[in-house]
Amino acid sequence: MKTLIRNTQLFFQSAYLSYVALFHWLRPAQYLATKVVNPLWQIMFFTLMGIYGSGGESASFYVIGNALVLTALNGIFGVTFSITGERWTGTLPYLFGTPANRLTLFLGRSLIHIFDGMIGVVIGLTWGVLLLNLDLSQTNLLELLLIILITSFSTTGLGLALGSLSLVTRNVMFVNNTAYFGLLILSGANIAVEKLPAFIQKISYSLPLTRGIYSARAVVSGIPLSELLPLLGTELAIGMIYAILGYFLFTAFEYQAKKHGTLDVI
Amino acid sequence: MTIPQTLHVVIVAFEMTIKQAMTDAFIIFGVIVQPMMIAILALYMLGERGDEIAIFVVIGSGLSGLWTNVVFSSGNSITSERRTGTLEALVGIPTPLHVVVFGKNLAFVVQSLLSMVASYTLASLIFGYPLTVESPFQFIISIILSVLSFVCFGLMLAPLFVINPDVQRWQNGLEYPVFILAGFLFPIALLPIWTSPISYILSPYWAAQALHITSHAQPGFQQLGLSWLAMISLSVIYILISRFLFRRLSVKARMDATLNLQ
Repeated sequence: MKTLIRNTQLFFQSAYLSYVALFHWLRPAQYLATKVVNPLWQIMFFTLMGIYGSGGESASFYVIGNALVLTALNGIFGVTFSITGERWTGTLPYLFGTPANRLTLFLGRSLIHIFDGMIGVVIGLTWGVLLLNLDLSQTNLLELLLIILITSFSTTGLGLALGSLSLVTRNVMFVNNTAYFGLLILSGANIAVEKLPAFIQKISYSLPLTRGIYSARAVVSGIPLSELLPLLGTELAIGMIYAILGYFLFTAFEYQAKKHGTLDVI
Repeated sequence: MTIPQTLHVVIVAFEMTIKQAMTDAFIIFGVIVQPMMIAILALYMLGERGDEIAIFVVIGSGLSGLWTNVVFSSGNSITSERRTGTLEALVGIPTPLHVVVFGKNLAFVVQSLLSMVASYTLASLIFGYPLTVESPFQFIISIILSVLSFVCFGLMLAPLFVINPDVQRWQNGLEYPVFILAGFLFPIALLPIWTSPISYILSPYWAAQALHITSHAQPGFQQLGLSWLAMISLSVIYILISRFLFRRLSVKARMDATLNLQ
């Protein structure tokens, strides 16, 4: 019981501190730029390009897709930096030296990003309603919120896996940016998955976001959540698989670091 | 400084920057990977407009690479010296700082032309689009003017980011607005009319106009001349603004007695 309480405490402390350290909360401008203003430009760019390409019929397709992709700002960039930041700040050896439960420590990094990722999507959708005529009149907002939560969770799972990989590369930004743009192409945010070549579609369906974006579009158009539960179950499972993969990579790299005496891993 | 000495400094700064940038994964992403990914997205999203859209996408995505490199590499061309601890030495030498920064920016923008090569290769070889440039001579002149105008824009950003770090916090937010306002991948006619004056004071808009026109048709001199004249005029204005900013930077560094400007 004592261990459980200690681990729970560690989980929330780790979640809070890693998040505070990441966004430098004392400067609200940083948050505004990253989470409120920049997403607007991204949504505008891809939506306007989509409108130009389709003759102006499908703004909501792009608004919803790109709003959901915003979960990756937290899921990929936020979570990855929370993990790899330990190396940059020289605290990784201390982290590896602590007797704290690794799973708690690792998963704690993602908690706030899941919820902050949801806020990002809500901001994105709000921009869509205000500026791009996104119609939510047919939408059950609670159902949409649940889809956003599941999608944010699954994207964070991918972020945990990439975060562990970032411990063995010096080019974290290259990996993250490539993954982010990869999601813009493959997740169905901007290109309907059916339009992609068959073998690429298989990659799309093995990624987080793909089913989440599809479900969000369906709920916005008035389809009940009950019809989408299998898709959302799979989205959740994909997120878990990536998170577990990330955890095993994290522990494997820790083992290698200790074995070879390279406590900052590389 | 004499003109040959200035040119020598520009060439050396250019050469050093190219060598450094070629090994920087972040720059490689901005110059090659991101433009190619934007090209893939655009080819799918605009594909219904027919085969002739391919050259439009190649140029638009290529320009996105140029602009990304201006924002992140040219914009950081002074702050990067601060990070590596070489700013004090650079300011201490008799060569004016803006000459060195010009050489660096020229390298960044010229290197960014790889964006267009990458997008061209992708559209032509992988997607199999037929790609031709209708007015190659005017196209090349437009490319040269575009490069110079992008370099001049970078000359404004570099001192601005140092003088006011708060502006640099919005650096990421400078990328997409120009993609939108300059009409890289869709016409600005899609935007509200009140945004047009903002587009007109951005040289990337005129660069996109000139390159899109010369790749698609054989434009009359009047049509193309306006874009060329606008790029030249705006470049002069950007240089004047950058001279003011470099002076401010120099004064600020002396007043605060902190050569690393923090």
